[in-house]
This record gives sequence, structure tokens and C-alpha cells, in this order.
Amino acid sequence: MNKRGGIGFYLFLIIFVFLVMFPFIWVFLTSIKPPREIFSSFSWFTSNPSLDSYEAALTNRPLVRYMINSFAVSALTTILSLVFASFTAYAVTRLPIKGKGLILGLVLAASMFPQIAIISPMFNLVTDLGLRNSYMGLVIPYITISLPLAIWILATFFKKIPYELEESAKLDGASPFQTFRKIILPLAAPGIFTTGILVFIAAWNEYLFALTINSDDAWRTVPVGISMYQSQYSIPWGDISAATVIVTIPIVILVLFFQKRIVSGLTSGSVKE
Amino acid sequence: MKNKKRRSFQLSEKQLGYAMVIPSLVLVMVVVLWPVAQSFYNSLFDYRLNDPSRSQLMLSATIDLERYVDNQFYIGSQLDSLLESAENEADAETVKGIQQDVENYHAELISDETIKTKVEKIDELLASFTPVRDSELKYSKVDNAFAEEYQGALESHAAALAEIAASSSDDTSGQQFQQTSDLLASTAGNILSSNFIGLDNYGKYMKDQRMWKAMGNTAFFTVISVAFELVLGLAIALLINRAFKGRGIIRATVLIPWAIPTAVAAMMWGFLYDGQSGIIAHYLEAFNLIPGSSWLLTTSDGGMFSIILADVWKTTPYMALLLLAGLQTIPQSLYEASSVDGANRFQQFWSITLPLLKSSILVALLFRTLDAFRVFDLIYVLTGGGPANATESISVYAYKTLFAQQNFGEGSVLSVIVFISVAIISLLYVKLIGSDLFDGRTK
Repeated sequence: MNKRGGIGFYLFLIIFVFLVMFPFIWVFLTSIKPPREIFSSFSWFTSNPSLDSYEAALTNRPLVRYMINSFAVSALTTILSLVFASFTAYAVTRLPIKGKGLILGLVLAASMFPQIAIISPMFNLVTDLGLRNSYMGLVIPYITISLPLAIWILATFFKKIPYELEESAKLDGASPFQTFRKIILPLAAPGIFTTGILVFIAAWNEYLFALTINSDDAWRTVPVGISMYQSQYSIPWGDISAATVIVTIPIVILVLFFQKRIVSGLTSGSVKE
Repeated sequence: MKNKKRRSFQLSEKQLGYAMVIPSLVLVMVVVLWPVAQSFYNSLFDYRLNDPSRSQLMLSATIDLERYVDNQFYIGSQLDSLLESAENEADAETVKGIQQDVENYHAELISDETIKTKVEKIDELLASFTPVRDSELKYSKVDNAFAEEYQGALESHAAALAEIAASSSDDTSGQQFQQTSDLLASTAGNILSSNFIGLDNYGKYMKDQRMWKAMGNTAFFTVISVAFELVLGLAIALLINRAFKGRGIIRATVLIPWAIPTAVAAMMWGFLYDGQSGIIAHYLEAFNLIPGSSWLLTTSDGGMFSIILADVWKTTPYMALLLLAGLQTIPQSLYEASSVDGANRFQQFWSITLPLLKSSILVALLFRTLDAFRVFDLIYVLTGGGPANATESISVYAYKTLFAQQNFGEGSVLSVIVFISVAIISLLYVKLIGSDLFDGRTK
């Protein structure tokens, strides 16, 4: 529909953006209030902004450490699953193998499996391997989430690459693996990058495995670390607001830079072309 | 590997294809299929991590060799000293009998070569005060009948010694007898009977009120939040499916709630809902929409409302995006043709948009329903399943049973129930969607 919007339409957009962003706006405004004001008034703006909450958020809990942990685990997960998934997606979309439907069905089914049904054997496995409270201890279970996701999205991207290039490479005498490495991979690079972003976000946000497997404070990831800011006796909303702002900024930047890619990756699995 | 391929042989396309698929398939087997199968297997046992007599899966009787060897070491010497302090012939006879019997049983136990080697190894470790960490070494299967007999014998001997202790006139010797009796009883406790209980755990949960309540909560949460997300998402998608300035801002706005971790979103909403300093609780109370500012997080209805609102906020944008992508594939010419035929916009929506959007809607619904049914982080962080389990989802209940109670047997039953429910939901949707799901991926 190529209608252009009028004033009413833009008014709607402004209200929509405000409603969706309201929690972030409020949390940001809270984070720059002096801690005492948070509990005493509902005024939107503070007259004397302070960074006390930020200092508290960074010193009371190892927030920077959480972010490093999250980054390391997510990056490792992303790289590993992209390598395996690009092989599989290529074979399934381009090579004459049997049982493609079965393989994709298995991958899709695996992505639907509830994590709670996997957690206890995975917990025992990681404990037996001596990997609790380590990066690999989370990367292994994260493969359950990221590998099916990556295969599923990459398959769509590989499918879109024109066959002509492959055919001519074959005529020039390239082996199938050379074709994959020299022709398909460079062409699919944007798709692989997009898939990487989505896998990274999925790993960054994971909670259940991180909560059970890395229970030591020094090995916690951001989602678990943030949820542990509340103690039994008091809830330091100032610290929590500031910590939320700090951990949300990288995501906001990621989204702002790569929004088109993220949308194309998200919707690639759901729309028939 | 690549070079080798080039020089010595070339994989055909087919071989390469299988070689490329196998690593992922193996990984999926190891990290997805095997754990689910193992969960199902665990659910057939009375398996508790925090109870040493049930912390293993034991299909047949098993002996905890570490503790057994440790106890057995003292039995001989203690019985010897009992012989000396026995007050009368009859007691001495009993002790002698016990000594003989226990020795016989132990000899029979170590007549098995593997058990004998294990016992010797453990002896060495214990002598150097090293705990036995390898469960292969620590536990050993024993014959069911033998285990029962040995255990029965130890228990009856313990009872006999306890009787002597009770009737003893001398305090010190009485204490000695009691001590040995305790030792024998604890040795009996090192012989573990099988904890395989078949489907008993399932039977228990079929009658468990809390399970059905959690199931009800999950279903209610799933249906209501997904319904709201679909209607709102569709409305937003229809409204922004046009050319306008500032699409980038809208797209970013829509993506940020989706991209932040659910646990972080739950903490934020926890703050907004807070009875004392929560702004949303404050405004809702000020406009008389809720009975009091603490209603949101301290009552059952309020708790459910809170998690649904937070979930709708976080995932409606995602729904809108998926539907918008579907809308953009509908050819404009269809709308033009129908306007020429005099169809109004409502008719266009019913006869063009909805039918053509059907597969997008179903796919979006499939993913959202499954996600909502598995809900864990949001509830666990925002309400912890409270107040009084009113918002507890089946995943949260399973997590609490597994890790707070350390009951892996019963917890696995709950996770298998989640798994089966999810499987049923997916099958229903896949049936509705049909083969469309795979279009555009395989040749």
C-alpha cells in the first residue's frame, strides 16, 4: 500500500514510539536521579542529576566482568555455530544429497525443543566434564539454541544465490569444496554476517543455562548478573536502573547499526518469496 | 585437509554433501536429542542429587563401595573388642556368629573379580585420605538377591547388638555394643536397592494439584498474550505498511525491546510495577484502574496481568515485523483490481490480506506460541512464580523441582511434560501450515 501518512498518522507513530520506549525512558531518568529521590517522588526529571547510581552499579557488583563473560560466550557460540551451520546449510540447499527434508525437519524440531527438557542431563554432562563456571560450559549448551537457528536462517540466504556462478565454476574445473569456499562463501558473506548477529543476540540473552551452569559470581553472564542485583532485604532500584542502561547501550548500538540486516534475518524464516 | 583433497582425491558432490551435514547432525544428536532422551530416562527413577542413597540411576541393586569399604574396615576390629567386653557366654556367641556371617558375606562380595579390584583401589585411596570422585569406581552393581540378603543380615545383626546394648548393665560396654550396632546399620545403608520406579513419578504428577495449576497458568498466559500480540502486531503492521519518513526510527524502536535480554526486561518491569516506587503502579492507581499500587505484584490476578503486559510489550514488535514482511509480499495489483471492482477496504482485508497473510500469521503464531509456552526467564525474574504460585509456569515449576529441591527424577517428569506439550502444539501447527514451512529451502 503506497499511501502517504498524514498528521494523524505521524501522531500515532509518536505515541507508538513513546509507549514502546517508555520503560527505557523512565529507567534512564531514574538512573540519573540521586538515589534518595527514587524512593520519595514520582517526578520525571530530577533537578540535580548525579552519576552515583552508575558508580554503585559498577562497584557493588562485577558488572564489567558480566559483560566480558557474556561477550566471550556469545562470540564463541556464534563462531562455532556459523562454521557448522554454513556447511550444513550449503549441503542442504546446493548439493545432491538425500533426506534434505528430514534434516531440515530435525533442525526445526531441535529449535523447538524446550530448554527445560535438556537442562538436567546437560547440567550433569557439563559437571562431569568439569566445565561448570567456564566459558565452554555455556558454549556447549548454547549450541542447542544457536545451531538450529543458524542453519535455518543460512539455508534461506544460500538459496538466494544464483546457480549460474556455481555452474561456471564447475565448468572451470573447481571441486565442489572449492566452489563452496571461493564462490558461495564470499557471496553469502552478508547473509552469514546477519545470521551471526541473530545468533549472537540469542546467546547474549540466554538465561536458564547461564543461571544453572555458571553459578559462580565471577562467571555469570549479563542477564543472570542483572537479575541478582536484588537482595533479599532491599531492592536497589538506582543500581538496577544504571546497570540496565549500561547493558542496554551495546544492544541499542547493535540494533541501530544493523537494523535492516536484523529484520531481513528475522523475517527470512517466515515469509515465502 | 583441503590440500589433500585436491591432490589425492576429489570428493564427489554427494560425498561432500554428507561430509558437511554430518558434524551438525552429530552435534544436534549430542546436545539436543540425547539430553531429551536422558531426561525421559531420568524421569523413570527416584533420582535425587542431595540424597546419597539415590543420587545415581540404579537399574539393579548397587553398592556404594567407598562408604562400604570405609565402614567394613572397622567392623572386624570393633567386633573383636566386643568379644572381650562381652558380659556372658551367650553375648560372646552372638558376636562370634555375627563376625563369621559378615566375613562370609564380604568374602562372597569380593569373590567377584571386578569388585575385588575396585575394593583394593578404593582401599588405597582411602588410606591416603583421597575422596573417590570417579563414580565408575565408587559404585558397583551387585546381584539383587545377594544385596537383599546381605542387607537383611546386617540389619538383623545390628538389631541383635542393639538389644545387647540395651540390656547391658555396664555403661561402657553398652556404649560399645551400641556403636557397633550403628556401624552395622550404616553399612547396611551402603547397599542400595534399585531406584527404578517406572512410571510412578508420572502417576504422582497426574494427581498433583500444583502441576495442573502450573499447566493452567501456562496455557492461560500463552493464549492471552499470544492473542494480544497477534491482534496488536497485525494492527501495527497494517498501519506502518506504507511509505513514510522515519521508517528507520520505527524499525529501531520495534527491535530494541526484542533485542534486550528477557531477564533485563523483567527487572525493568519489576521496577515499573513496584508497589512503592513503580511509576506504572502509581499511574494505574491514580487513574483508578487498579485497586492499589501493590495490586500488581502481590495478588494472583495482578501478577498474571503484570507478566502478560510485560510479555506483550516485549514481543508484539517482533510479531509486527514478521507480519509486515508478509504484507509486503502481497502484490499491490490485487488491491487495485479489487478497488476497480468496488470492494471497500474492509472487504479487501478479509478477502485479500488475510488469506494471503495466512501462512505468515501461522508461522509467526507457531514460534510465538512455543516461546510463550516455554516461558521461564520473565516469570522467574519478575514474580518468581508467586504470589503463592499464582503465576508459576510449568517450566518454572520444573526448574524449582530440578535445582531447588535437587530432585532430578520428579523434575524430569515435569520437563518431559513440557516437551510433550510443545511437541503436540508444533504438530498441530505444522499440520495447519503444511509443507509451506520448507518451501524455498530445499530444491
